[in-house]
Amino acid sequence: MKKDNILIFGIIIALVIAVAAPFIASSNPDGLESAFFGIFGAKEIHGSELNEDAAVAAEEQVQEITGNTFSYAAPFPDYSIEGLAKMGEALAIVAGTILVLLVAFGLGKAFSRPG
Amino acid sequence: MIQLHIPDSFIPLLQAAVYWVIALVFIALSLRWARAEMREEKVPLVAVLAAGIFAIQAVNVPIPWGTSGHMVGAALAAIVLGSPFAAVFVLTLVLIVQGVLFGDGGITVMGANIINMGVIGGFVGFYSYKGLNRAIRNPYPAAFVAAWLSLFVSALACAVEMAIAGTFPLGLGLFSMGLYHAVIGVIEGAITTVALYLIFTARPDILPKESGVTA
Repeated sequence: MKKDNILIFGIIIALVIAVAAPFIASSNPDGLESAFFGIFGAKEIHGSELNEDAAVAAEEQVQEITGNTFSYAAPFPDYSIEGLAKMGEALAIVAGTILVLLVAFGLGKAFSRPG
Repeated sequence: MIQLHIPDSFIPLLQAAVYWVIALVFIALSLRWARAEMREEKVPLVAVLAAGIFAIQAVNVPIPWGTSGHMVGAALAAIVLGSPFAAVFVLTLVLIVQGVLFGDGGITVMGANIINMGVIGGFVGFYSYKGLNRAIRNPYPAAFVAAWLSLFVSALACAVEMAIAGTFPLGLGLFSMGLYHAVIGVIEGAITTVALYLIFTARPDILPKESGVTA
């Protein structure tokens, strides 16, 4: 395969994954979060039931333990765009993918060894 | 809500600052690596890998115990680009975009996330791949095991950081993080192996000689 073709193929795969992600991704807590909920009593480590109230309480409790109350309001929290449901998430992840592509390219050019 | 990486509240500020300092050292080393080793013609590949890793990290795959996990991609970046510093370079960028734009992973604790996923993931993935591939002379099982290990060791490192932070007790943290990520590592291994196979099959010449892939 030609060099340009594999790159274009790679970009297409990345964009297809980005569009599909919100529709196919599991909404279960991820490994770290699940361990956190398990340890703080919001779920059994081997169980799958999450106690939502206990989960909220756990998030407050951990702030007291660490004292780190820093909070940052991201413009598109959890890959969401206000007013747009799943399509907004797809749009956010596609935009993020393209941004990463461009920034990586720009920084790569700036820091690479000139050929 | 789903936070895929360590959120701000999990680590005290002072410890978070220490992780940032360590992360910055590795970021500086990765930029030095780029200047010395990353040829300009490799830049499009670096960019596409970074974009693909960003996208695939948004896909949480369900695992048992009401939990999910997603690929990290450090082993893949390190193997394809031939250096653990490539993983630091790519993962740092991905983590900055995730944290700053999407609130995925904290800001004060971003250094810890860069250490776990970029540095530990990249170094464990790269050197275990190198050693295994030399021993068994087959890049694909070597990549699978290396990618599994890179994710598993990152998760254990995270559990140790949580214990130092006072957030998780050490034993239970290591057990639950280890349990979940032993399974999530299979996803990491599988996708890494398939991606490596596709890249190698399409363009054998773009893989670095040091990665030891032979036809």
